[in-house]
Amino acid sequence: MSLLKEFRKGLWRENAVFRLLLGLCPTLAVTTSAENGLGMGLATTFVLVGSNVVVSLMRQVIPSKVRIPAFIVIIATFVTVVQLCMEAYFYDLYKALGIFIPLIVVNCVILGRAEAFASKNRLLPALVDGLGMGVGFTLALFVLGAVRELFGSGTLLGYAVFGSSYQPLLLLILPPGAFIAMGLLLAGMNSFDARRR
Amino acid sequence: MNGLPRLVIALTLISLGAGLLLSLVESQTRAPIAEQRRLETLRALQTVLPAFDNSPDADTVDLVFGQDKKGRELTRTFFRGRQGGVLSGVAFTVVAPDGYSGNIAMMVGVDPEGTVVGLEILSHAETPGLGDKINRDDFKGQFKGKTLEGVDWRVKKDGGDFDQITGATISPRAVVKAVHQGMQFLQSHRTEVLATQGNSQ
Repeated sequence: MSLLKEFRKGLWRENAVFRLLLGLCPTLAVTTSAENGLGMGLATTFVLVGSNVVVSLMRQVIPSKVRIPAFIVIIATFVTVVQLCMEAYFYDLYKALGIFIPLIVVNCVILGRAEAFASKNRLLPALVDGLGMGVGFTLALFVLGAVRELFGSGTLLGYAVFGSSYQPLLLLILPPGAFIAMGLLLAGMNSFDARRR
Repeated sequence: MNGLPRLVIALTLISLGAGLLLSLVESQTRAPIAEQRRLETLRALQTVLPAFDNSPDADTVDLVFGQDKKGRELTRTFFRGRQGGVLSGVAFTVVAPDGYSGNIAMMVGVDPEGTVVGLEILSHAETPGLGDKINRDDFKGQFKGKTLEGVDWRVKKDGGDFDQITGATISPRAVVKAVHQGMQFLQSHRTEVLATQGNSQ
């Protein structure tokens, strides 16, 4: 099944964060907790699927000379929709993610998929590609957020995991901790891959 | 139709579609968003004010308290809580510009005698794990019962009466200073805040 393949490539082999190292700005910035990572990932997935579908449907109509501005307008529209809906219905998450919601526009994963995949493929593969990439991105953010939250504040999704005697490793919540956790996760994934081969 | 006109038409149509969709979504979400913002203010009011049975967010007084850099007037809104028609407390927001990173916005509730009833941090960007402990109840709680007179409005490190937070003195110092200034402002405008009829009763 080629559709299944399009979906699965986003999860591991071409995972946007862990394999292509794309979209690192929101990845590193919002993953101070698992919940934030999950919220950001889902918002990005929605934009990714939406923009992939529209770009794929309009690929014959959009002149190639103005494709990048056209893609950006489409992406920005979806991002604004997400932002408005989130503020209306998920106010706490909206406050937690703050400036990084509008910044989904410049997440290069989304423009990358529009340019490299959706503008060259039919609707169904484009949709599945967006979904796979989005789920992969969400997983990556969730894992990174969970690791940082677990060791940085001793909780997971807000629930205390370690006893009150646990001294949180503050560094992991701070910006440098994002790089350190990310680097360790990457190293782990690489060694896993190398051993499997 | 392959030159510039085609490009212009294509981009115009795409933007038009985007605009239409956005105006649709905006009109759908306008009411819920306004409600969310109102609820947020109301939640803060409930934590900082003594018991009330009116709508403090509709019973307000706006006073000018200074000018910004461009010379425009800055106003401060006072929310008045009433229990059975009798004033039970006044709440107002203050913004500390001198936090460790960015502004700290908070809401202070004061009873009619001028005693602090509660403090709530509305928004801040202080360091997680250090400065953000200003949001902990044991820090906010020490403001309760404080009055303008007889209290040294500084953190203990500076010789005052307020506990700072281990590893983070700047954030508590900014909070204490801002609350103090807000209290002084209220003191000097007591009559206007307490006596005048609200914008809407």
